[in-house]
Amino acid sequence: MEERDEISVVASEEALTRVSGPSWVRLWLGRVGPFLGLIFVLLVFTLLSADPAQYLSPRNLRIVAAQTVIIAVGAIGMTLIIVSGGIDLSVGSAIALTGVVTALGLRAGWAPSVAVLAGVLAGGLIGVINGLVITRLRVIPFIATLGMLGAARGIAKWLAAQQTVNVPETWVNELAVTFPARRWMFFAPGVWLALALAAIVAAILRNSVWGRRVFALGSNEAAARACGIDVENLKTSVYGLAGLFFGLAGVMQMSRLRQGDPTVAVGTELDVIAAVVIGGASLSGGEGSILGSMVGALIMALLRNGCQQMGWPNYVQEIIIGAIIVLAAVVDRLRHVRRLAET
Amino acid sequence: MMGSVSEQMRRRLWSFIGCLVLALVAFGCGRSGRATKSYRVAVIPKGTSHEFWKSIHAGALKAARELSGEGVQVTVDWKGPLREDDREQQIQVVENFISQGVDGIVLAPLDDRALVRPVEEARRAGIPTVIIDSALASEAIVSFVATDNFKGGELAAERLGSLLQGKGKVLLLRYQEGSASTHEREEGFIKRLKERYPAIELISSDQYAGPTRDTAKRAAENLLNRYGEQIQGIFCPNESSTAGMLLALQDIGKAGHVFFVGFDATESLIEALRNKQLHGLVVQNPFNMGYLGVRTMVRYLRGEPVEKRIDTGVMLITLENLSTAEAQALLHPPLDEYLR
Repeated sequence: MEERDEISVVASEEALTRVSGPSWVRLWLGRVGPFLGLIFVLLVFTLLSADPAQYLSPRNLRIVAAQTVIIAVGAIGMTLIIVSGGIDLSVGSAIALTGVVTALGLRAGWAPSVAVLAGVLAGGLIGVINGLVITRLRVIPFIATLGMLGAARGIAKWLAAQQTVNVPETWVNELAVTFPARRWMFFAPGVWLALALAAIVAAILRNSVWGRRVFALGSNEAAARACGIDVENLKTSVYGLAGLFFGLAGVMQMSRLRQGDPTVAVGTELDVIAAVVIGGASLSGGEGSILGSMVGALIMALLRNGCQQMGWPNYVQEIIIGAIIVLAAVVDRLRHVRRLAET
Repeated sequence: MMGSVSEQMRRRLWSFIGCLVLALVAFGCGRSGRATKSYRVAVIPKGTSHEFWKSIHAGALKAARELSGEGVQVTVDWKGPLREDDREQQIQVVENFISQGVDGIVLAPLDDRALVRPVEEARRAGIPTVIIDSALASEAIVSFVATDNFKGGELAAERLGSLLQGKGKVLLLRYQEGSASTHEREEGFIKRLKERYPAIELISSDQYAGPTRDTAKRAAENLLNRYGEQIQGIFCPNESSTAGMLLALQDIGKAGHVFFVGFDATESLIEALRNKQLHGLVVQNPFNMGYLGVRTMVRYLRGEPVEKRIDTGVMLITLENLSTAEAQALLHPPLDEYLR
């Protein structure tokens, strides 16, 4: 997004001086769309709720934050992949597998930090394999990761002997706890970790050479190749790095369940992709921001929480989230039309 | 270039601040809680689509209605996990009810370990939990209101054993990994079969049906493909596995040619019992489970003593006793009377 976006920001500021209201609104809408969505969701539930103080209470916000962690950490990785023009459908299975790996490590008596590291690295390994299949075997990402969706799920069940793997009490269990034992932390350590990682990756994506290349790759792969970028290794590195985040999401999931569960997180990849799309990324690549994806993840958790508070049945929230995904894509589309008109 | 980036950042920051302000304004305008003394009880099933859970729902509503008649206002909040077999989703439902500050939670946990943390968090927040249907590995609960599942499995083994006259090959299609209630039924079945009918061979007992009829049917098809010609008896430990197995048997024309004992009852399974495609159904009393779950919760909330373990009963239903009043009361709980 950034290369084009910066140009378009300059262009838009010129445009601002000459173009009338509606198009300015449209452009602005595209940029702050995710935030508007967040405010909208908060406002709607606050107004509808019989007890708005409860919905906006620190206690409820902590619960929403803890519920967002897994999707948010996954969305950091998925943003990298989607910006690079790829897709990863194996996230849910990777979460289950890396959670099982961590749980097995803990049960075998490894130091908690070693078990966590093993889980994260297992995620990275899955990502690197995805990347290699995509670049070396020339399988499109949708198919390569669809294969991994099945394979990783199967390996998770195999490693766990088709059962849940219960773990001894360690600090890992406190990572994603809703109400941390140390009160001054307010949010669970996992929430702070997710925020810190989001900030770091956002900076890398925005400012580093590697980050600029990822945007270039997603915007126009042929041009990136022509510019001398080693596209194959870049892609593999994107999937590998993203895999580390999926591994961390798996550790968080294990922490929340206090067990490695090979059947958990079926379909989570779709929630993660939805968060990234709601956050303003384009599935055709070259666009997206970590901040937007985090807001997207938060919107979905707030919706789920709010729908339950209203006593609405599950299908209502499924319909609403579906509609919001399409709406996000429409806003993205409008932005594109505007941009093409300017250039 | 940098200017435009920071401009963008600034706009984002402003919209974020705007959002916070709006939230605080709304917070300030918030009306404060409920005035009248009444109990709000959250009832959380494992899923919402099986008829079993609808019976629990109706039973819970019956308890609430009765209690209201006795002058104790009780409202029941009914909410299942978004994805039926997903522990994470059920945890989120429990957490959100904690956040809403309900007076008590009646929970059918999807897993005996994974739901321990949220239930203990609920207790720390002053919200007691009654567990129904499946056990929870925690002492932090008020009571466990459920079927004696082990006994249910034993009833099924007795039925198959006597139908087969103590010999032959049978097959057990398990329900799902980590589900405590069905695991006990499976163990009760295996134990009684081995003790009383040592000549009967349990030819397969390591396959799982999965969460839905569809996954159960696929698992059953694969099993029947391999063992279909050898077996004379089948046991399935819950509604979806029984229904899936029945569909698979009907597809290959073997329904009625093997002795088949299932667990839980629906209209289609009763129909199969009448058509002699099923030869026994172990039936629980989910209506009673929902009813006693809410009753027990309210008793506890009112400071009355409660039992730690409450049995809600099991019964073997066959073609012979199908029309008895006892069986009919179990098979046709008054759902319509309570679910609108």
